[in-house]
Amino acid sequence: MRSLRATPPILVLFVLVALLVVITIITREISGHADFLVERQIVLLVWLAGLLIAGVVFAWFVRRAMRRDASRSRLLLMVLTVLLLASPLSLSLLQHPAP
Amino acid sequence: MDMLLSRAVAALLTLSGLLTLGYIGISSYIAEELVYEAPKAIVKTPASLGLAFANVSFPSRNDHINLKGWFIPGVLPDGRLTADRVIVTIHGTRTNREDPGAHLLELTAALARNGFGVLSFDMRGMGESPAAPLSMGNLEQRDVLGAVDFLRSGRLPLPELGRPRMIGGLGVSMGAASLLMAAAGEPGIQAVVSDSAYAEIVPILEREIAKRSVAPIGRIPGVLAPSALVMAQLLYGVDFFAARPVATVARIAPRPLLLIHGTADDYVPITNFYALNTAATSVPGEHVTTWIVPNARHAQAFKKTGTEYVTRVVAFFDAALGAAA
Repeated sequence: MRSLRATPPILVLFVLVALLVVITIITREISGHADFLVERQIVLLVWLAGLLIAGVVFAWFVRRAMRRDASRSRLLLMVLTVLLLASPLSLSLLQHPAP
Repeated sequence: MDMLLSRAVAALLTLSGLLTLGYIGISSYIAEELVYEAPKAIVKTPASLGLAFANVSFPSRNDHINLKGWFIPGVLPDGRLTADRVIVTIHGTRTNREDPGAHLLELTAALARNGFGVLSFDMRGMGESPAAPLSMGNLEQRDVLGAVDFLRSGRLPLPELGRPRMIGGLGVSMGAASLLMAAAGEPGIQAVVSDSAYAEIVPILEREIAKRSVAPIGRIPGVLAPSALVMAQLLYGVDFFAARPVATVARIAPRPLLLIHGTADDYVPITNFYALNTAATSVPGEHVTTWIVPNARHAQAFKKTGTEYVTRVVAFFDAALGAAA
């Protein structure tokens, strides 16, 4: 448990993204047998709920990590996490600059 | 100092986390709105235009969605009915086989009166066909292929008329894009009329998404368009990026192709017509005919020109499919 709490946020981020993808695939497979009218709403709800839970879990790990002694390498890892997390939005902004 | 740096990084992490979560969440919601449109009821039938018809249903190719439509026999000059040459007519997006905006039912009736049988149907998710994701042609091309399969081997109404000897296709807007993609890989479609087709849908969607309002967000910022398209693929398996008739239109050759477009089309700009024409004529042995209709808006060429439209399309199909037996 102690080692889990010490997991760097960047690793948590990778695990959460993988989990979200798996949840989406499973939901799509299960709801694929339902009518599309039902399916599309289920998929969206599960995805948004997953996104929210992933956000809370990630925030908890970040908080834990920040409370620990901040070594240089740990800080660098954190900065890398920031860059990774912000990259989808940054790429979109670069492609589509605001008018 | 380290403490200050640590707090700054924590603040950045929180901010980027919140922004990214919000960005992905809203994109997912827009994606859900993009892939669905409530079906529109059919108001008129071919009977209202004095034509005989039969209700039909047939499965789409590969994914077997049960599509609903009309089979309208052609009327020969002596009044006899015929199914020797059949045109599959394909409506545009967010409408149905009647397609009142493009006056498709009236065009269908004109074709039938000129001796062409017509198979007119609702694409998936529209009209009376079952609910399904809207993919702007990528999945809908399977519906066109299902129509061809039905004409070739399905249980046709009016069996006394026999099976069609020749099959052509006429599509409007998204129907034209779906037809172009379907015909590229299906030699059973022997002649194609494409009215107001797009070369690729993504640039149009990116423009249109930014014009739309989605409750409770309001006007959608353009920056959300690309991610909404990616989320549609991830969550619903709808690949808008694959809706690119320009990539396959050349494979219709040497079968005859008529491209029609209005100069005043502000939904699918005429640059799409030029891109399709360039691609379609890039191969030897092509038989591409073009007709640019002055001052016609999107999918309004028939409404604008009426008889001239019918004369040109009938002449094209007569030349491509031969006379009715």
